[in-house]
Amino acid sequence: MSFSDNGFFGQFGGKYVAEVLRRPLDELEIAFKEAMADPSFLEELQQIQRDYIGRETPLLHAETASKILGGAQIYIKLEGLANTGAHKINNAIGQCLLAKRMGKKRIIAETGAGQHGVATAAACAKLGLDCTVYMGEVDVRRQQPNVAAMELYGAKVHSVTSGSRTLKDAVNEAMRDWAANPDTTHYVLGSALGPAPFPDIVREFQSVIGKEVKRQAEERHLDVEALIACVGGGSNSIGFFSPFIDEPGPRLIGVEAGGIGPGIGENASRMTGNASRDGILQGYKSRFLIDEDGQALSTRSISAGLDYCGIGPQLAALGKSGRVEFTSALDKEALEAVKFFAKNEGVLFALESAHAGAEAIKLAPTLSPEKAIIVNMSGRGDKDVFITSPVFRPEKWLDFLHAEIERLESDKDIHEAKIME
Amino acid sequence: MEQKINLMSHLVAGYPTDELAFTAAKALVDGGAAILEIQLPFSDPSADGPAIQGACNEVLKRGYRTKDGLAFIKRIHEAFPQVSIYLMSYGSLVYTPGIKNFCSRAASSGVNGMIIPDLPFDYDEGLTAACKENGMVNIPVAAPSMSPQRLEKLAGAGFPYVYAALRTGITGTDTRISEETISFIEKLRKGGSRIYGGFGISSGKQSAALSGHVEAVVAGSVFVRLITENASSEEALYQAVKNKALELTGCNK
Ligand SMILES: Cc1ncc(COP(=O)(O)O)c(C=O)c1O
Repeated sequence: MSFSDNGFFGQFGGKYVAEVLRRPLDELEIAFKEAMADPSFLEELQQIQRDYIGRETPLLHAETASKILGGAQIYIKLEGLANTGAHKINNAIGQCLLAKRMGKKRIIAETGAGQHGVATAAACAKLGLDCTVYMGEVDVRRQQPNVAAMELYGAKVHSVTSGSRTLKDAVNEAMRDWAANPDTTHYVLGSALGPAPFPDIVREFQSVIGKEVKRQAEERHLDVEALIACVGGGSNSIGFFSPFIDEPGPRLIGVEAGGIGPGIGENASRMTGNASRDGILQGYKSRFLIDEDGQALSTRSISAGLDYCGIGPQLAALGKSGRVEFTSALDKEALEAVKFFAKNEGVLFALESAHAGAEAIKLAPTLSPEKAIIVNMSGRGDKDVFITSPVFRPEKWLDFLHAEIERLESDKDIHEAKIME
Repeated sequence: MEQKINLMSHLVAGYPTDELAFTAAKALVDGGAAILEIQLPFSDPSADGPAIQGACNEVLKRGYRTKDGLAFIKRIHEAFPQVSIYLMSYGSLVYTPGIKNFCSRAASSGVNGMIIPDLPFDYDEGLTAACKENGMVNIPVAAPSMSPQRLEKLAGAGFPYVYAALRTGITGTDTRISEETISFIEKLRKGGSRIYGGFGISSGKQSAALSGHVEAVVAGSVFVRLITENASSEEALYQAVKNKALELTGCNK
């Protein structure tokens, strides 16, 4: 059940959208199928994956970490080495190429943490497309480094002030824009969710991760026990799992944001949490954190990329069937995982991906050293320095920020000075 | 009085307060509205523009629940039994409590029909049937961007009423009633459904251009904006809303 059955994965999925969005979705579905059957499109995609994204990404044997934990051999798929720092670029490039093929010159996207916005803005810059990114006002404020990057790539970042002013509101705003401008504009949705055909599109463009892993593991004759990935909307996980779904093994493990605890509003655990329900929201049927009326609940996670009330419909279905196992990691476990892999392997996990790292730390010691487990490091942690530094080294960070403010205020010509140097 | 235009006017339940929303409903009825389309506030009103979206958010901030919205509807129904009430909301609020359960609660609150834009007519999760069982109608929404095949399918699906959104996009910005608008409505009417037409209607001129082609003209954002502007005075709110309703029904001439 890799591809959807007419937009559905078991009982989940669908195209639950207002009629105005129906035609753009139907047209997209047709264009996507045609593109994926066209060798010249696939060739262009492969070339840009190689030359621009930097594929294939390495599969690192985390030898020291494995030794310390004393169990299965941990391997890390370094998706964070992809250009722009996360797996999001795989999908952004794929969809932008598709949009170009459809004759659309304007791209819109939504972003929470900013990684998808950055990837889309970069893809647009690379491919010569006009780009607008919707981002909740709250996220704009807390993710300034990514906002700065998007602006450098030439994108317009539109701060969304409605609702909770976070990701789900940015999604609503992007949908509204698309509904008003379907002929000129393509909406690059950032995860494997939303109305059909997006879950299929995003999975296919992200499946490059899983295909490489499969080949890399076979070349090294690994006895893979489990694949572990973090799950926000579910794009890195479904792409990573994709070639293995219809096979009997290995175990596929999705790790959700456990936030600060199990209470309602304290996490973003849609498969493992206790506020989760079947629902229809933002165009698709899946598992959501919603109240008994059907209103979206607030969510919480230290990682902005996992902080969303819904999950991709295919993962929801695979969770239900048992093919994908779900678990969660707390904020503090993710932070510990960042530290552990940084110190022992020299890789800096993004906070999102560190949720998967945390699960590997728990699982590896329970397995024999002949077994391998593979963690998808969906992104690298450079972007998180404003979140991790206040935790790991609060005083030094405060000093740094004060000094930066002083420097900016005292030297109004700072930029020119820099350019002249 | 000149020839009166049938008006279906939209109202956000509980906005800005239950009392003022009730005053607005009274003003709409006194201004000649034949149908009240009452929106149950939802956290993610993806088909609505900023005016309605903002109103929904304000209401939800107070901890407003579905049961409060239905109680409000019941009060309106008891005060104005002669007007039809259609409930407008999103799939989540209808699907989560169970569609059958929701429909029976809505019907017993005095609702005559349901408008749920993200439960399209061919993926309605049993809404049409549940409406029928409870003596209500499901009113699907059509858009001018529909493919000819899909438009024909909807027109021929036997719905007593169809809501025609007269412009691509969201509520709240102005719509020009053109020849294409009228031809879209006529195509929808072919299968025998009666048509409610709206989206961006804010003037008597627009409603006059539509009357004769539709069962009723629908107006929403224009009222929500007037309610927002006049929220500080019940009297001013009543007058502003009533005057606009009189304009749209063609009774002010
Ligand atoms: C590095 C990284 N990993 C994971 C995610 C979560 O998204 P998904 O579950 O779609 O991969 C994000 C989202 O922003 C991200 O930036």
